[in-house]
Amino acid sequence: MTNFKPRPAKQPWSRSNKAQQREIIAASILPALIAAAIYFITKIDYTVALIGLYLPLQLVVAGAVGLRAFGRRGIWDAMLMVLTIFLSANVLVLLASVLASVIFKGAPALSSQFFTQNNIYVSTTTSLDYGGVGHAILGSLIVVAITTLLAVPLGISIAVFLTQSQSRLRGPVRTFTQAISGLPSVVSGLFILSVMPLLHLEHVGFAGALALFPLMLPTIARVAEEALRLVPADLRMAALALGAPNYRAFFKVILPAAKTGIMTALLLGLARVIGETAPLVLTLQVNNGTNVNPFSGGMASLPRYIYSFVNTKYQTSQERAWGAALVLLMLVGLLFGAARILGRKKSLKTRAKKVSKKGKH
Amino acid sequence: MTIEQSSGARQTKRNLKIKPTGLGDRVFFGLTTLAANFSFILVALILVFLSIQAWPALQANGFAFVYGATWDPDGSGVMQLGPMVWGSLLIALLGIVIATPMAVSTAYLIVYVLPKTFGSILTSIIDLLAAIPSVVLGLWGLWVFTPVAAHWAEVLHTYFSWIPIFQVTNPEAGFLRSPFIAGWIVAVMIMPIITSVTREIFSQLDRDLINGALALGGSRSSIFARVILPTSSAGIIGGVLLGLGRAVGETVAIFYVLNLSPNINWGQLLEPRGGAVASWILARFGEASNKEVSGLIAAGLVIFMVTLIVNFIANGIVNRAQPWRK
Repeated sequence: MTNFKPRPAKQPWSRSNKAQQREIIAASILPALIAAAIYFITKIDYTVALIGLYLPLQLVVAGAVGLRAFGRRGIWDAMLMVLTIFLSANVLVLLASVLASVIFKGAPALSSQFFTQNNIYVSTTTSLDYGGVGHAILGSLIVVAITTLLAVPLGISIAVFLTQSQSRLRGPVRTFTQAISGLPSVVSGLFILSVMPLLHLEHVGFAGALALFPLMLPTIARVAEEALRLVPADLRMAALALGAPNYRAFFKVILPAAKTGIMTALLLGLARVIGETAPLVLTLQVNNGTNVNPFSGGMASLPRYIYSFVNTKYQTSQERAWGAALVLLMLVGLLFGAARILGRKKSLKTRAKKVSKKGKH
Repeated sequence: MTIEQSSGARQTKRNLKIKPTGLGDRVFFGLTTLAANFSFILVALILVFLSIQAWPALQANGFAFVYGATWDPDGSGVMQLGPMVWGSLLIALLGIVIATPMAVSTAYLIVYVLPKTFGSILTSIIDLLAAIPSVVLGLWGLWVFTPVAAHWAEVLHTYFSWIPIFQVTNPEAGFLRSPFIAGWIVAVMIMPIITSVTREIFSQLDRDLINGALALGGSRSSIFARVILPTSSAGIIGGVLLGLGRAVGETVAIFYVLNLSPNINWGQLLEPRGGAVASWILARFGEASNKEVSGLIAAGLVIFMVTLIVNFIANGIVNRAQPWRK
C-alpha cells in the first residue's frame, strides 16, 4: 500500500541511515534559518514569525523528511517530535527568563553591605550604597528555624506512623497529609490570624513561624516517609527477631539507614517555606530594623521585604527588590542543591543495601 | 506474595503482627499515633477557627457570598465574592490549558525520548522551576513578563478579535494586568507539578504494553496516541487537578500582575480586569476593618473548602493510577 522503500543501509538494524540522518539535521535547521531570514528582512512581529511562520514550516519540512524516510507513518512521528520539543523548549525559555532576569537585575544590588545592613534610615531614593537585607535574612532564618523545630519532629513521627505501625488509620492519615500539602498559603496565614487572639499572640516572629508550619509539615512527612520506606523491611524484622523493641529497632537500625533521606526531607521542607510570602504578610508585622526576638516586635523576612518593594515606582526600591529576590533564590538554590547532592551521593537504595550487607556479616 | 505465587508453592502468606513489647514501645507507638492524628486535628482546627471568624460575614450575606457581586464592607456591610470566585476559576482554567500540553510534552521527552542523562537534567530543571518562590515569580511577572505578554495579547487581539474571548473594549489601554497574563503566571507555577505527576506515571507504565505495540508495528506517534495517553490519562487528570488546587490558592504572583476588579469579567481574557479570591484577601487585608477581616476570612474558608475537595479527588485519582506506590 504505502510507498515504503527503505534505502540500503550499512547497518540494517538502525532506524535511519547516514543520508536520512543528514536530512533530519537539515530539516531541524533550515526552517529556523528561513523563518529567521524572513523575520529580519520583513520585520514582521516575532510572535507571528514564531507561531504563524516557523512552526508550520518546521512541521511541514519535518513531515516531508519523515515521509521520505519512513513512509506515511513517518509524518506523524516527525510532527509529534516537533510539537513536543517546541512545547518543552517554551518551558525552558520561561525558566531561563526567570533565572536570568533575577540574576542580571539582582546582581548590581549585591554588595557586602547589602547582606549585613538593615533598612532603617533607607528611603525610596537612598542610593544602593546604603542599607540592605541583613535584617530580613536574619528574620527569615529565625522564623523558618522555629517552624523547623515544630514541623520536623511531628513530620518524622507521621512518617514513622505510616511506615512502622500497622494501624488501620494509615490510609486516612496519608490522605489527610496529602490534602494539607495542597493548603493555600494564604489560608494558612488566615488560620493563624484567627488563632492569634486566643493565644494572646501579637504579630510577632513566632506567629509567622506558626503560619508556615502547616505548609512545611506535609513536605517533611512525605519525603521522610519515602526515605523510611526505602529501608528494607528485613532489617527491621531482623532487629525485632533479635529481641529489640520497636523503638530500639527504629532508632538503632532504621533511622541510621535513612539518615540522608531524613536530611533531604528537612532541606526540601526548608526550601518549601522559606519563600512563602502571604502567611507572613498576614501574621507578621513589618520591621525595618533588626529584631532577633521572635516573641516581641515585628520582624523582617526576605519574601516580605521583596513584597513591599515590588510595586514601587522608584528605581532604587525596585533594584533592592531584585537584589533581595536574588538572595532568596540563592538560599532556595542552596537548600535545593544540598538536598540533590545528598540524595545522589549516597542514594538511599545503595545506602540501605550497604547496611543490609553489613547486617549479613 | 509474588514470590510465593510464582514458585507455585501452596503457602498462605503469614500475617506478621507487630505489637508493642514493653513500656518503651507503648510510648513510641503512642507518640507516633498522636502525631499522625494531628493531621486530622489540623484540618479540623483550620475549619473550626476559620468558620468561627467567618460566621458574621457568612450569616449576613448567606449563599450570595459566593455569587453576588457587591463588596461594600463599611457602608452597607454587603460582602460578596462572585467576581473573585469566577475570576479564580477563569485564571485556573487558562493556566491549565496553557500548562498541560507543555507538561505532558516535557514528561514525554524526559521518559521516552531523551537519553537518561539529559532526562534527569531536565527533571532537575523542572524541580527547580517548582522551587521558585511565588513572590519572585510575581516580581518577574510584573516587570519582565507583563510587557511581553501584553504584546502577545495585542497580537491575539489583532488577528483573533472575532473570537469573543479575545475582544477588548478599549484596545488603547495597553492589554496590561489582564487574566491572560495571570493565567500564564499560574501556568508557570503549576506546570512543574503536572509534569512531575505525569513523568512518574509515564515512567512506571508497563513496558510490555509498549513493546507489544512496537512488535505489532506501532510507530512513535501511534504508540503515544493509542497506548501511552489512554493508559496514563487518569494519572494525568489527577496531576491536572492537583495543579488546579494549586492555581486556586495562588496569591502573591497574581496579586501583582492582575487588576482585581469587583466588576465581573465573564471571559474577556485580554480585558484589564479580573479576580482571584486569594489575591483579593491579600489586597484588602492591609486597610480592612474588623468587619471586613471577617469577610476575608470567609473568603479564605471558601478557597480552603475548594482546594480541600479538589485535592482529595486529585490525590485519590493519582494514588489509584499508581498502585505500585502502596
